[in-house]
Amino acid sequence: MSKNNSLHRFLLTMLFCVFVTSVDAQYAGYKPVSDLPSFKKKFATESAKVKSITSDFTQEKILMALTEKITSTGKFWFKRENRVRIEYIKPFAYLMIMNNDKMLVKDNDKENKINVKSNRLFQQVHRIMIDCVQGTILDSKDFTTRIFEDDKVYLLEMTPSSRALREFFQTILLTVEKNDYSVKTIEMNEPAGDKTIISFKNKKLNEQVADAVFAL
Amino acid sequence: MNKSLTQFLLFNFASIVCLACASDYKHMRAVEPDATCISKLAPRQFSTSWYHASVDVIGKHISGLLLIKNMPDSAYRIVFTNEAGVTFFDFGFSRDGKFNVYNIINQLNKGPVIQTLRKDFELILGLPFHTKISQAWTMDDDVFYGVTQKKETAYFITSKDCASLRRLELGSSRKRKVTVNITGQPYPTPDKIEIVHNTFDMQIKLTRFEKE
Repeated sequence: MSKNNSLHRFLLTMLFCVFVTSVDAQYAGYKPVSDLPSFKKKFATESAKVKSITSDFTQEKILMALTEKITSTGKFWFKRENRVRIEYIKPFAYLMIMNNDKMLVKDNDKENKINVKSNRLFQQVHRIMIDCVQGTILDSKDFTTRIFEDDKVYLLEMTPSSRALREFFQTILLTVEKNDYSVKTIEMNEPAGDKTIISFKNKKLNEQVADAVFAL
Repeated sequence: MNKSLTQFLLFNFASIVCLACASDYKHMRAVEPDATCISKLAPRQFSTSWYHASVDVIGKHISGLLLIKNMPDSAYRIVFTNEAGVTFFDFGFSRDGKFNVYNIINQLNKGPVIQTLRKDFELILGLPFHTKISQAWTMDDDVFYGVTQKKETAYFITSKDCASLRRLELGSSRKRKVTVNITGQPYPTPDKIEIVHNTFDMQIKLTRFEKE
């Protein structure tokens, strides 16, 4: 009988340890940012200094249940205000340009010009993308945000508020470099467990970027 | 004069109706199925492949990535995402052909959409041809091998000399409903697949690519 009690205690302790470890391990190596208002202010000020970004990117789409991963690479441009160009180069060609309320999408077969205002979902996706790189994501009403940090980066955990966005994303995790407040990675976690991680490399901030890059 | 005009219009209308009613399979002649050709060209295997997908439906165009995965238990999973990685749907066919929707976004979660895609994928995976094929016909230079399921027949169509698989079709007794053209490398890793719906405006083009 006392042997059984010991066993129960042991199992409960183990269960408790596993639970506590899993909560702590959610963002291993990160701690919550203590002074949130100060971070938000600094984030807004420093992000505003980034007038343009040119970068390479690597995108990994991970299908958990199917143990499949597809990696694509391309180029990324941003120019304040509200202009983004994302060009996938390998292993497929795909171009997306956002220029204020207009958007151009070009795949192998067709070119589509979209007025973002005409589609609420496009509008939201467009807004998220711009807010992420422009440093205005903390003002977004589309998400509730928790902020963590380690030595080198801030981690912004964004949970969608609206049902429409929750259908696509469980959370979006953004890592932001501490030295220049530019985005390092974007991780989009889907409700079914799949995820997409975009990592930016060879970033050049505030270099000259021609308006023609964003021509629709 | 009026009578002539009426007769002319009636004749034209009748001609159009007759043409519309004409069976696409009217000139098929039944022949004995060639077992050797069936075992050589029936599309019964599909290897895991990634495709760039381009979909046109009633004037709307979307593109994305389509994964067709041959699972270890011989089931298939079909996942369609957009280029940025957001999953639109995740379908599965078990080993015995049972269809399952694992995940689909609200905008696509409509019965007719799912059923249309289910039939398209069943055809390109060659699932109807896993049973014994006991019917064959010739028409022009083609040989049709067919499997009838409810009111429709799935065909794989070969050249007369059985040198190549020409296309796949899904049809009712009179109408060709879906045509699947395959170009480049053949089954089990077809390079290019074009699915054309003949009864409404829908076309899917799949172009295989190698993962990085």
